[in-house]
Amino acid sequence: MPVVDVDPDELRELTGHEEKSDDELKDDLFNLGLEFEGETDDGELQLEFAPDRLDRLSVEGVARSLRYQYGDETGVYVPNTNDPDWTYEVAESVPEGRPYVTGAIVRDVNMTEDVLESLIQLQEKLHATMGRKRAKAAIGIHDLTMLKGAGLGDDGSGHSITYRGIDPDGDRFVPLDADSEMTPAEVLTDHPIGDKFGDLLDGFDRYPAIYDDLGLFSFPPVINGRRTEVEAASRDLLIELTGTDQWTIDHICNIICYALSARGGTIEEVEINYPAATGPYKTVGGGLVRPDFGIDTKHVAHDRIETILGVDFEQREVADLFARAGLSASIVDDAGNAADVNAVTDGDGVVYAVEIPPYRVDVLHPMDLIDDLGRAYGFNELEPRYPDIGTVGGRHDRTQLEDAARASLVGLGFEDLLNFHMISAEANYDRLNIEPSATAGDGDRRLVGAGEPVEITGPYSEDYTQLRTWVLPSLLMVLENNTHRAYPQDLAEIGLAAEVDESENTNVAEWRSIGAVLARNDATYEDAKARLAALCDDLDVDLETPPTEHPTFIDGRVADVVIDGDVVGVIGEIHPKVLVEHDLELPVAAFELRLEALQ
Amino acid sequence: MRLPDSQLAVLEAASATEPTPVDRLADETELKPETVTRAAFDLRDDGLVTIAERTETTADPTDEAHDYLESGLPEVRLYRAAIEADADDAVELGQLIGAAGLEGPEVDIALANFARKGYGTIDSGSVTADPDADPDSDPEADALATLADGGSVDNDAIDADLLDQLERRDLIVRREHTVREITLTDDAVTALMEGIETAETVDRLTPEMLTSGEWVDVEFSEYNVEADAPSIEGGRKHILRQTADRAKDVLVGMGFQEMDGPHADADFWINDCLFMPQDHPARTHWDRFALDVPPIQGLPDQLVDRVESAHRDGVGEDGDGYHSPWDRDFAEAVALRGHTTSLSMRYLSGFAGADIEPPKRYFSVEKVYRNDTLDPTHLLEFFQIEGWVLAEDLSVRDLMGTFEEFYAQFGITDIKFKPHYNPYTEPSFELFGEHPTTGEIVEIGNSGLFRPEVLEPLGIEADVMAWGLALERLLMLMYGFEDIRDVHGTLCDLELLRETEVLH
Repeated sequence: MPVVDVDPDELRELTGHEEKSDDELKDDLFNLGLEFEGETDDGELQLEFAPDRLDRLSVEGVARSLRYQYGDETGVYVPNTNDPDWTYEVAESVPEGRPYVTGAIVRDVNMTEDVLESLIQLQEKLHATMGRKRAKAAIGIHDLTMLKGAGLGDDGSGHSITYRGIDPDGDRFVPLDADSEMTPAEVLTDHPIGDKFGDLLDGFDRYPAIYDDLGLFSFPPVINGRRTEVEAASRDLLIELTGTDQWTIDHICNIICYALSARGGTIEEVEINYPAATGPYKTVGGGLVRPDFGIDTKHVAHDRIETILGVDFEQREVADLFARAGLSASIVDDAGNAADVNAVTDGDGVVYAVEIPPYRVDVLHPMDLIDDLGRAYGFNELEPRYPDIGTVGGRHDRTQLEDAARASLVGLGFEDLLNFHMISAEANYDRLNIEPSATAGDGDRRLVGAGEPVEITGPYSEDYTQLRTWVLPSLLMVLENNTHRAYPQDLAEIGLAAEVDESENTNVAEWRSIGAVLARNDATYEDAKARLAALCDDLDVDLETPPTEHPTFIDGRVADVVIDGDVVGVIGEIHPKVLVEHDLELPVAAFELRLEALQ
Repeated sequence: MRLPDSQLAVLEAASATEPTPVDRLADETELKPETVTRAAFDLRDDGLVTIAERTETTADPTDEAHDYLESGLPEVRLYRAAIEADADDAVELGQLIGAAGLEGPEVDIALANFARKGYGTIDSGSVTADPDADPDSDPEADALATLADGGSVDNDAIDADLLDQLERRDLIVRREHTVREITLTDDAVTALMEGIETAETVDRLTPEMLTSGEWVDVEFSEYNVEADAPSIEGGRKHILRQTADRAKDVLVGMGFQEMDGPHADADFWINDCLFMPQDHPARTHWDRFALDVPPIQGLPDQLVDRVESAHRDGVGEDGDGYHSPWDRDFAEAVALRGHTTSLSMRYLSGFAGADIEPPKRYFSVEKVYRNDTLDPTHLLEFFQIEGWVLAEDLSVRDLMGTFEEFYAQFGITDIKFKPHYNPYTEPSFELFGEHPTTGEIVEIGNSGLFRPEVLEPLGIEADVMAWGLALERLLMLMYGFEDIRDVHGTLCDLELLRETEVLH
């Protein structure tokens, strides 16, 4: 979960509550869902929170939420915006994989080292979360005074920058943290940051690039140019975002604009000129004005709030709680006229129209507003109650059978084990002296344990590359790892085994398999057979053990486990080759069979 | 008075005036020494004998010493060979080795002890024997001979320094043992004079005794009932299974029905139904175990369409969808389930075949798979306790009351509900509780009401509250384990599993 570093002094300043102690702030923050994790070396609070309220990824957003919570601020606030002076031209050459752009101009920011640090952190956290590590959205913030935009109008008024696609070696610029000019392709190979984000441009013929009159100044989603680097002395900023989804980059832009507005900045709109209103631009249109501070409205029924929270509210209480959540509720009467939302009524039948500020990215449904309201009320204020709902409990047939078989095995003296379902091919087949898909002597039946492996795509560990096809390999590994422990070691496990089977709709056949081993100085086939017979007796099925061949076992001391006429497993003395492979120095008798055969 | 045979025999053999050692009594009574000892202790408890104990040191010659007793000590053999060769002058060592019959390490032994004992001098490989030395009265050889003949350290007053020297040469092994000597008390003398009858004692009750009625006349020999018995390992259910069964018992008692379903499942059931956007970080390659098998067949088309629509456009009049890609191929890809909520989706959709008219309670305690770094608290496979309640008009308070009741069964009380974010529930809560022994506040689960975007496509009109919890976490809380790998998986320690206390 994201962790944000917040300077408590800045938080006091931005909330206007200089009197709050660090501990009081921590309590207030916990109620917002921000958990204090620790302090940085500089004394900043490290706050962890779930990745829904991305507008709180910086001290400015956290302060805003606190001001609503304290009741210092009410209603949905929208910063004033000035009319556009800059235009973002988008060329047809823009790479298909990254078609969208948005942005804003912010002037007169009270920039300091602290503000800059907070801005950089906000940018990083937005990249990591909503930006999907820059794959979905990449942010560039530039010092406006370092940009030279060509006028567009006949009279030379206005300025523009251009977003286009260029040949990977088609131009040169000096990237951040570098001293010499590089082409975008060289950035990917030679610049430290290129290594981290180069993958995002895999398969691109043309690389995204943003130009002003002086040339290339931004290479999204990788790195900005050094020329326009923002410093503590910068006052006027140009923000540009590129990405794969217009809504996403627009909302990230809003979050940044709100944070800068809290630092005294004035927001100035920009025009976006797409090359067409077709193709990827069909849904967004050919020309846009951004940032888009439009307010969304969702409707919530008073009765639904009461059933979800289990509390009876007066209408004005609900209105107040919405206000504390930074939302704004209003109602209309039956005639369609605005009514007083703060009226003292029980609110029955009322539907609130709730305004949602443009920095919120997490409100998809009215239920999200009820959650906001619950947080403002304080969920821990709610009295738990046990629901008065009558239902009958019960176990699944499959696990009841498993329990009965396990109880029988434990009664026969086996220690019940629990191993991983994932295993390596080597442990599952090779070390048991069998091969995948090997068949039994007569050739028309697959050897027990030799099922076709269900393999993990691109496994991360060589110890776990597939699901096990039987249980005995796991039990032999336990014996191998416990040779220093007292014998006899009589172990059994009932657990999942699986193989590829295209007659199943998942293409994977899964079943519970019973595996058992007797590791003792005098373990024989007879010992295993006696216990298997007792198990079959307990579960009231007929057992036969006709001789068979199986390379895991000693020839002549191995049999098919046949229950009610079907071959369901194998029993025998483990072959010395397999024992030696597992560093075992005493005989092991074993059996394995499908649980369902005991039904 | 009636006494068992063995006790009477000991009484009769012992004396009231002279303490008699156990060994001698054993010889006289023809009983085993341990039988005599046991009888003596029983007699002492009856006030018939006194037992004096003292510690005796014995020194037993080693095999090497026995060899020398036959062939002579190596240094003595060297001396005799040297005298034989030339009583007055130095002789080359090489000439003497064969004559003295010294083999292998005996040469070094002979040289090391020759000068020490004053048999002569050795200089640059030449041996000069001292003609005045007396090899026939070598104290070490004499002591060994005495000990080998059954002599004792104490009785034959063998010098302690000499014993040390022999022990250093590995020619004897010294041991200390307890000697018990038995003396009759006055009561015993009186009883013997009055006459004591024997009672037949038997070691084991046999079937013959029972059928013949012989058992009436016998006395059973007493066992040392305090002695340790050989240790045995009974079978036992794995402790994680025990914990799972306990959770299942609690849930069944609370009216929950158990679910069952596939471990390898379509991403559709694992994630898409749960309104997890397809570009969610938890759905990337690094977090899931994708399987190398063809896509799932037979997903219900209408349900797939409704789920896709919820992802793209949301549900309800004011609903919004995600601004994320959605692709049916990804939904149909098969992976190991990252949570058992896939089962909840199969059941709630009706696909699992169960009736889903409210009210319903369902649960499972089953394995899930997540690609995490293996460490003391994280495994790639673990058990998830999953539960949900379907009913009309459920509230957050019902959710809180249900979970308080569940955790109280495990001794975890005073639960805190921290507002949380999950893509599939709203409101959502992380559950925190106090550790029953350490008092630490620990996370014990994740819960919430399923979102409308989850329920509407499934065709559910009532409310559903759900929660999940790692069973291993419950186990570690209950048993205080520090490394889950000792318990679960092929690296498990059988001794730990055997010795862990059974909780009830």
